[in-house]
Amino acid sequence: MVLLSKDSGLYLPKPNKILENMRFQKLEKTASDLDWKIDLSIVIPVMNEEESILELYSSIKNICDGLALQYEIVFIDDGSQDKTFRLLTEMQLKDQRIRIIKFRKNYGQTSAMAAGFELARGKIIVSMDGDLQNDPSDIPRLLDKIEEGYDVVCGWRKRRQDKFWSRLLPSMIANWIISSVTGVKIHDNGCSLKAFRGSVIKNVTLYNEMHRFIPAMSTLTGARISEIVVNHHPRHFGKSKYGIGRTWRVVLDIITVKMIISFSSRPALWFGFLSVPFTLLAFIAVFLGMGMFLGEQIDGWLILSTVSFLLLSLSAHLFAMGIIGELSVKMGDNWPERGIKPTMVVQ
Amino acid sequence: MINKEIKELDSEKTSDVAIDISVVVPVTERIDDLREIYVQYARKLSAYGKAFEFIFVVDGSYLNVIGVLNDLKKTYQNIKIVSLSRSFGEATALSVGFEVSRAPVIMTISSYFQVEPEEIDRILNKVFQENYDLAISRRFPRIDSFFNRIQSWIFHRLTQLLTGRTYHDLSCGLRAIKRKVVEEVPLYGDLHRFLPLLSYERGFRVAEVCVKQSAYDKKRRIFKPGIYIRRLLDILTLFFLFKFTKKPLRFFGLLGSGLVGIGGMIIVYLGADRILGHGAIADRPILVLGVLLIVLGVQLFSIGLLGEIIIFTHARKVKDYAIERILE
Repeated sequence: MVLLSKDSGLYLPKPNKILENMRFQKLEKTASDLDWKIDLSIVIPVMNEEESILELYSSIKNICDGLALQYEIVFIDDGSQDKTFRLLTEMQLKDQRIRIIKFRKNYGQTSAMAAGFELARGKIIVSMDGDLQNDPSDIPRLLDKIEEGYDVVCGWRKRRQDKFWSRLLPSMIANWIISSVTGVKIHDNGCSLKAFRGSVIKNVTLYNEMHRFIPAMSTLTGARISEIVVNHHPRHFGKSKYGIGRTWRVVLDIITVKMIISFSSRPALWFGFLSVPFTLLAFIAVFLGMGMFLGEQIDGWLILSTVSFLLLSLSAHLFAMGIIGELSVKMGDNWPERGIKPTMVVQ
Repeated sequence: MINKEIKELDSEKTSDVAIDISVVVPVTERIDDLREIYVQYARKLSAYGKAFEFIFVVDGSYLNVIGVLNDLKKTYQNIKIVSLSRSFGEATALSVGFEVSRAPVIMTISSYFQVEPEEIDRILNKVFQENYDLAISRRFPRIDSFFNRIQSWIFHRLTQLLTGRTYHDLSCGLRAIKRKVVEEVPLYGDLHRFLPLLSYERGFRVAEVCVKQSAYDKKRRIFKPGIYIRRLLDILTLFFLFKFTKKPLRFFGLLGSGLVGIGGMIIVYLGADRILGHGAIADRPILVLGVLLIVLGVQLFSIGLLGEIIIFTHARKVKDYAIERILE
């Protein structure tokens, strides 16, 4: 940068500082680890739920007032276009236990929950839907289960009131796939009503569309997971904001989560495993080409050699990917240098 | 009880000096008479009734420019001159200007006549009166050569196809920006053209205003072929910024699994052929095609996985949501 004195009217600017500051946005008011002010936080992302909000608030209030603990409700307005935010501010005027985060536009349920979890101050944090499908009367039983020593308690909508073919069946298949792939044996991954120990959920990395996999991601920190049966009310107001045609994208998400859980600290291993079948195939192709299996000269040895070289190059590629993955993990922001922060009990 | 707005994250930073508008002028390769530019725009701004300052950011060394600006500064006091040691690009020059500026609203203009200075009222009104966060301009109706218009049209159509947002004149340097936008949207490389798209992603309100093109802007502009390629790459960069950086596996995974699917079908077909006794498959070139497609697909898929690893290991720092305010 230029260096002439201030007197001549020329400045010495520092452009790097701008780039640094502007890229990341920080929520300054987050609770420190051992500084819980409140017993319970309820985190509710909402988008265009003007019809449901008031009823939701009053039923939560009825249940939680009877629990004799200090609680707060954190609403996240995820880009609502209707009267939702106005209703929320009116509610907040009358009840200071409500806190509101307003997003500038719609960013999705995962982002909303992430913001809510970061702002919440409760020793226990409960997340739920904003559309009255979850029943606040289940909250006390969630809290009891956490008291038993679990870190994550998921709701299980055993008697779901939905259409079979378009909702229940795909859901059952998805849940079965998720529990077998991730190893987290809960029956209902799609239920938003979950309770978390505050210190645990604040350590769970959450981004993109991973809110369905919060229990799976929490196993990284060693969380103990359980479930209880909860009530389910069919959607009263508004249309469902989800469709069926997202299956493949969810499958890719499942693969991502599985990979993260199994190999996030050792990506070279993951890619190493991936390359094994191809190396095997490559060698088979070479042997075939040399006629070892069949004891005679094969006509297509040229093509077979090409095929085997292709497969070998794939193995090399995957090996290289593994190395770069290792590099990324080492350069990343894991705790303390390379691991994930474990859930711990300090007495 | 009162709403305690503890954190108005959109900072309406009022400076201690009473300036309403900072005018940032990045001085790059194309330069008209800077003195004329200052005089005409300053006159219009005074008529608009807001206190202003001018910040000229000289991006590199150009003959006589510093001399002219220093002369200008002797006559008019509300000018700052920032000189960069080498050419960094218009986006960086703008960033530097933003940092030096102090007013709550920033207006950017080009160092050459693109727009009739009379028109700045319309841009400023969008921000001051209609409360938009960013107002950009569109030169319409165009009076310059057909060639200019056609290359502009192609550029904007491509941008629209790849990002889904429609703008008509991203190269026009006349903008009015609120301070909070500047604080949240980083500009580097050649991204300044895409400020409206990036701002929209952060949830800001963006308006496009039609303004009259300057009479001096008629010349046909043919750029070096390298410049065209750079523009294309800019659009691709933007496309990746939006689609890829958040969900790499979805982007590459879709592509990769598609290729694996096609390759797999070829292999299955060949296998069925062999089993049905149609002869050896080892001398059929299509075997190579099938394997090649599978190999390519797995490679693309693994790149997606690698992207996910990179994002996961850096996920703590980056928040992709933008909070407008928190009420407690």
